[in-house]
Amino acid sequence: MAAITDIYSEHGQLRRPLAWSFGLHVAFAAFVVLYAVFIHGLRGEGWGSGGGGDAMGATLVSSVPLPANPAPTENVLATESKGLSKSQPTVPEKEPEAIPIPDKNTKTKIKPAPVKTATKRKPEPEPPESNRIPYGEGGPVSGPYSMIAGGAKGGFGFTGSGGDFGSRYSWYVQAVQRKVTENWLKYEVDPRISEAKRVYITFDIARDGHPSNVQVEQSSGVPSLDQSSVRALQRIDTFGPLPPDYSGSKVSVEFWFDYKR
Amino acid sequence: MVNIARPIRHHNLITVALLFLLAATSSAQDWIRTGTGLGVEKVRLAASDFKPSTTDANNAALLKTFNDVLWNDLDNAGIFDLVSKSFYPLQEPGQPSEVNFPAWNSPPPNASMLAFGNLGAAAGKVTVQGWLYDVKNQASPQVLGKQYTDTPTTDAVRVIAHRFADEIIFRLGGGVPGIAESKIYFVSERTGHKEIWVMDYDGANQQAITHLGSISLSPRISPDGSRLAFSSVTKSGWEIMMYSFDLNRMVSFPRFGGMNLSPSWSPDGKIAFSSSRNGYPNIFLVDASGGNSRRLTNDHGPDVSPAWNRKTGAQIAFVSGRTGLPQIYTMEADGTNVQRLTDQGYAVSPNWSPNGQFMTFSWMRKYGPGEPGSNDLYLMDVASKQWVQLTHDAGRNDFPCWSPDGRHIVFQSHRSGSDQIWAMLADGTNVKQLTFKGANTQPNWSWK
Repeated sequence: MAAITDIYSEHGQLRRPLAWSFGLHVAFAAFVVLYAVFIHGLRGEGWGSGGGGDAMGATLVSSVPLPANPAPTENVLATESKGLSKSQPTVPEKEPEAIPIPDKNTKTKIKPAPVKTATKRKPEPEPPESNRIPYGEGGPVSGPYSMIAGGAKGGFGFTGSGGDFGSRYSWYVQAVQRKVTENWLKYEVDPRISEAKRVYITFDIARDGHPSNVQVEQSSGVPSLDQSSVRALQRIDTFGPLPPDYSGSKVSVEFWFDYKR
Repeated sequence: MVNIARPIRHHNLITVALLFLLAATSSAQDWIRTGTGLGVEKVRLAASDFKPSTTDANNAALLKTFNDVLWNDLDNAGIFDLVSKSFYPLQEPGQPSEVNFPAWNSPPPNASMLAFGNLGAAAGKVTVQGWLYDVKNQASPQVLGKQYTDTPTTDAVRVIAHRFADEIIFRLGGGVPGIAESKIYFVSERTGHKEIWVMDYDGANQQAITHLGSISLSPRISPDGSRLAFSSVTKSGWEIMMYSFDLNRMVSFPRFGGMNLSPSWSPDGKIAFSSSRNGYPNIFLVDASGGNSRRLTNDHGPDVSPAWNRKTGAQIAFVSGRTGLPQIYTMEADGTNVQRLTDQGYAVSPNWSPNGQFMTFSWMRKYGPGEPGSNDLYLMDVASKQWVQLTHDAGRNDFPCWSPDGRHIVFQSHRSGSDQIWAMLADGTNVKQLTFKGANTQPNWSWK
C-alpha cells in the first residue's frame, strides 16, 4: 500500500516536467520537420530530383512517431523509478527472440564445420556434444574399453594401368595390411575419443619393401589419431621385398584407419 | 573409360590429351588401397607332404625328416593357420602341373596357400624342389619356387626344410626373416657341471660348447653370432668369459676382479655387465675386447642383469635393488635418465624385444610373507607401461628371451618338475618344451 501511495506522489511531482518535456519534444520535432521541408525541399528542387526529396521526407516522417508516443514515454519514466511490473515484460520479450536465434546459428555454424554429416542430421544439442569430445570438452565415453570392432565394410581396390597388383599379389597386400595393423598402437589415440572419422594415409613401398613418403591424405580431424597412424608406418622397417616377378619399382598404398573404441 | 572418352574426343582435343597424360602418370605405379578392420586372420596354409622324385632307397627316411621339420617350422611360426592334413585331397601334388586348385581352395581344406614339392636322392646328392602357391589365384598362383641340393643326410635335409620354411615365412610374414635356422644357447647341468650348450630353435641338435668343469652362467651370443660371452667361476671369482666360434675355442677377456655377471651385447657389439669391483654391483660398459671400461650406474643398491634395447642400442634395461626388492629400470646407454618400469613385487630378468617396443621379464607381483606369489613371465609395453601376463599357474618361470623375429619367447620353466627350456609365442600361446635331459636354464636366443 505504501508503494502505491509513493507512486501517486511521484506522479504528482513529475507532471510539470513531463509537460515541459512533451512541449519541448513537439517543438523540436516541429523544428526538424520545418527545417527539412525548407532546406531539403529547396535543395531537392535545386538538384532537380523530386524523388530524392520525397524519400528524405518519408524517413523524417518515420521519426515523427517518436513524439507520437507521449503515452509510452510516461511509462518509461515511471519504470526508471519503480514500475518494475511494466518494464520487465517489455525487455524479456525482445531477449528471448534475439538470443535463441544467434545461439542456434552459432551452434550449427561451428559444429558441422569441423566434423560430420551426422551433425546435420541431428541438430539436437546432445549428439553433437558426444562427437565434440575430441576438442577437449570432455564427456562420457560410452562403450567397452576394447579393441577395434572388425565390422567395417570395405576392401582394397587397385588402380593404374596394370591395376592387377592386388589380384596378382593379394598375399602381399594382406601382409601389408597385417603388418600395419599390428604396428598400430591404439592407446596412442586420445582416450577421450570413442569414435572418429576414417583417416587415410598414403605411402610408397620400394622394391626392397621399405615404406617411404608417408603422408596423411585425409585427416580424421583428430590429431592424435592421425599421428598414431603415421607412427604405425614409421615403426615398420620393411614389408618384405615386392614380389620378384613384379615389374614396377614401387607400389603406392592408400591405407585407412578406422578408430572405434 | 572408352564410353566416356569418345564423346569427349568430339568436343575437345585438349581434354583427351589431358586424359591420356593422366592415364600415363597413373600407369607408372600400382596402387594398393586397404585399411584396418578388414580382418587380419592368419594365413590359411596347407603344407602338403613332399613326394619322392627318384626311386632312391634313402628317400623315405629323408622325406619323413623333411616333412616333419617343414611342418613344425610352419606351425611354430605363429603366423599361419595350418590346415590339418586330414582335410587334404587324396592326390597331393609333387609338381606344379599336378595342383588341383578347386580341391585345395574350397572346403574342406579351404586353403589360401599351398606349399608342396618333391625330394629325390640320387648319386650322392639330394635335390629338393619346393613351391608356394596362392591357390585362390589360379591365374598367377606362384608365390615362391625354390630348388636346393645337398648331401643326402638327415641333417642336410633338416637344414633345407628350415630354409624353405623361412622363405615361406619371409614372404607371407611381411618381410620378417624366419627363425628356423636360429640357435638357442643355454646352461645345462647334464654333465654334472653347469656348461654352456647350444641347440636349434626347435630343440634339435643339442651340443655342449664349453667344457670348463666349473660353473658357467648367462650365455649371451654376439649380434653377428661369432662370439659368446658368459660368466664363469674362475680362480679370481666370477668373471666374464668369451668363446669364439671363428676359432672354436675360448679367447682371452680382461679380468676385472670382484663379481662380474650377466654380460649383454649391444647391437653394435659393446658389452654391458654388472660388476662389483668397486664394492656394490653396478652396470659397466666395455667394448667387445673388454677395453674402455666405463661405469654406468653409481648407487649402493645392487644393479644387475643389463639388457640392451636391441632396436636402438641406445637404452639399457637393468634390475636394481635400490629401493628394496629388485625392480626393472631403464636408462640411456650413458647411464642418464633412469626410469622405473615395475612398481611392486619382485621383478628380474628383463629382455628387450627386437623392435624395441616391449620388455619381457620375470615378476612375482605379490612377494613377501603370506603372499604366495607365483613367478611368472610378463610382457610390458615400454612406452605406456601397460603389461600383460604371459604364463599362468605353471611353476617358476624365469629368464625370458626374445626370438629374432619378435614373435617368440624362450624361457626357463619348472612346470615339468625340473628346470627346462620352453618356448612360446610372444602372446603366451603355443607353449612347447625344448629340452628334457638334466636341468637346463638361462636360454639366450641368437640375433638371427
